[in-house]
Amino acid sequence: MRAYWKLTQAQLILFARNRTVIFFSLVFPILLMMALGTFLGGGGDVRLKGVVIDQDGTVDSREAVAKLTALRSAGLTVASDETQARDALKRGDLQLVVMIPKSFEEQLRIGKAKVHVLYDEKSQTVSQIGVQLIEGVVDALSKERTGYAPVVGVEASPVQSLGLKYIDFLVPGIVAMMIMSSNLNGVAGQIASWRERGVLRRMQSTTLRARTFIAAQITARLILNGSQALIVLLLGAFAFGTRVSGSWALVVMYVILGTLVFMSIGFIIAGLAKTPESAGPIAGFVSFPLLFLGNVFFPISSMPELLQPVVKALPITHLAHAMREVMNVGATLGDLWLDTVWLIGWLIVAFVIASMTFKWE
Amino acid sequence: MHSTWSRRCNACGYEQQYEGAWRCAMQQRTQEVGAEAHRDAVIDVHELVKRYGDVPAVRGVSFHVSRGEIFGLLGPNGAGKTTTMEMIEGLRIPDGGRAIVAGHDTKTALHRVKAVIGVQLQSTSLFDLLTVREITELYASFYANPVPILPLLESMILTDKLDSRVKSLSGGQKQRLAIALALVNDPLVVFLDEPTTGLDPQARRTLWDIVLRLKERGKTIILSTHYMDEAHVLCDRICLMDKGTIIALDTPDQLIARLEADRAVVFRVSEQLRGEEDKFVAFREACAQMEGVQTVSVHGDVFSLYTSNVQRSLIDVIQCTERCGIVVDQLSTRSATLEDVFIRMTGRSLREQ
Repeated sequence: MRAYWKLTQAQLILFARNRTVIFFSLVFPILLMMALGTFLGGGGDVRLKGVVIDQDGTVDSREAVAKLTALRSAGLTVASDETQARDALKRGDLQLVVMIPKSFEEQLRIGKAKVHVLYDEKSQTVSQIGVQLIEGVVDALSKERTGYAPVVGVEASPVQSLGLKYIDFLVPGIVAMMIMSSNLNGVAGQIASWRERGVLRRMQSTTLRARTFIAAQITARLILNGSQALIVLLLGAFAFGTRVSGSWALVVMYVILGTLVFMSIGFIIAGLAKTPESAGPIAGFVSFPLLFLGNVFFPISSMPELLQPVVKALPITHLAHAMREVMNVGATLGDLWLDTVWLIGWLIVAFVIASMTFKWE
Repeated sequence: MHSTWSRRCNACGYEQQYEGAWRCAMQQRTQEVGAEAHRDAVIDVHELVKRYGDVPAVRGVSFHVSRGEIFGLLGPNGAGKTTTMEMIEGLRIPDGGRAIVAGHDTKTALHRVKAVIGVQLQSTSLFDLLTVREITELYASFYANPVPILPLLESMILTDKLDSRVKSLSGGQKQRLAIALALVNDPLVVFLDEPTTGLDPQARRTLWDIVLRLKERGKTIILSTHYMDEAHVLCDRICLMDKGTIIALDTPDQLIARLEADRAVVFRVSEQLRGEEDKFVAFREACAQMEGVQTVSVHGDVFSLYTSNVQRSLIDVIQCTERCGIVVDQLSTRSATLEDVFIRMTGRSLREQ
């Protein structure tokens, strides 16, 4: 037990004294978050996709459709099948379905016309922006109809948009990214170098049990990743006003699960790498594409169709998604069972491979 | 005593052979190695074999190490010293044979073996970013009954480096720290694998003192080295290894005495002679025939004549070379060393591959 605490403590001291670790595991993600959050915080990067269904088919409704589709940022196209559109919305292929109901024209005459907007509550991030955009179009339309001339104008200076912002999408992604890169690169690099330099063999010649060593490694990394996540979350809250809507316990659970998954993958890389020099590049080779494909900076919906199945199988995708849902929407474990199963699956597979490929020397 | 013997003395043969033959076997061994019997053997190695792929690294090595003894493994790089040590330490699994440390078999009771040994590995680097105190406390935590670390570090002359990071230590200090870590569990046996390789002469002397003090404290030490002077100064017995086998095992003085030549006459012949094959061979023959000369070893253009009669041999060399018109250079005499023993046994120098 004493060995376990001492090893954990020693590992934490090593983290704290290693400038590269501090930079890549904390400073870099924070800088990235600050930069992306500031420049892209307006939500301009969120890709919307939706359809307009004209059920009225009159001159007025067609005019409304034209105005809506003209709004390029809403990404609306014209469709006709309502059921199909609803299904696509449920699958997450669409974020918005706008319906112009029958008798739209008649209602418009008496000033009671309505446009129905269906959106996926779960991907609020994107949908909320879409709803606001449509509201704007409809508002303009009604003002035009009533011949209303505004006496007070709003001069919009877009600093940040009002609804859920890109930063809300980004912060959970950054937490997931930190967990991934700090474990992939950290474990692979450190273990490979300890093995090469004989550090592991030296410990192997003592009465230290391998399981104590591994337990201490896991504990130290959980503490490291937990504090990293906390710092990023707090910084996001203070600097950008992001918040955790769901349960903190779930956030902690996904931090732990993510740490274990990527530690195991890190051990696999350490086992595959012949030299410590090659461990870094291999880890980079693995983590770099994951960063861009894996739902960290960009929603999976913006990925090419062809890559979708691959992207949806990546552990980082599920980690980022689960984090995001817990933080933004307040999803529960029940909502996230699929992500959880994926992550546990990855953990089991990676752990088995890691224990088969691991070498002390 | 009888029972102790029959439990520990596994290298003589199988257990069942002891009853009748133990006394005889022990006497024989005592004569053979000229040291105290392995009545007190803390290490008992029998026919150890290790292959790396198709390459045999150790091919059947057997020896005993007595309690309180400094036992040297001397040989060139690749002789199998490190592999032999690592098999006794339990870091490598032998392909054949067995190693018993303090009565525990490394195959079946490795954890017990690890509790009573201390290891300094040849190429271990330690955690660079920890301080001397931190890393010693860390290693102490791996054992059930560690020694107090401050007196330990003081005995390794590291007291004023307590709070320095390992990174900032000199080579000698790092080696002393490595030895301190090998002692945190107050081991019965300490393994030192080439502890002075790469150190400056001053640091080597300091380390020799430390090793001798460990012996005074009753530690059994297995030391590997490729420095013959080091082996001679430190070791009670030396196991001379080459190409994975033991070529001689005895006290340093006995090894040298085996040469039956206490002095060596060394000289260099001219380059030109090396070109003339016949003349070269004839001269070599002539040297071997000289009175008192036991062995002639030739390395390139350097001849070493091991002789029991230096004066006679010197005269003979000078006369012979003059007669044949051979130019000699850098003629000198010196005492025979362990290096000479090695050359005599293998025809090669310790420093060569």
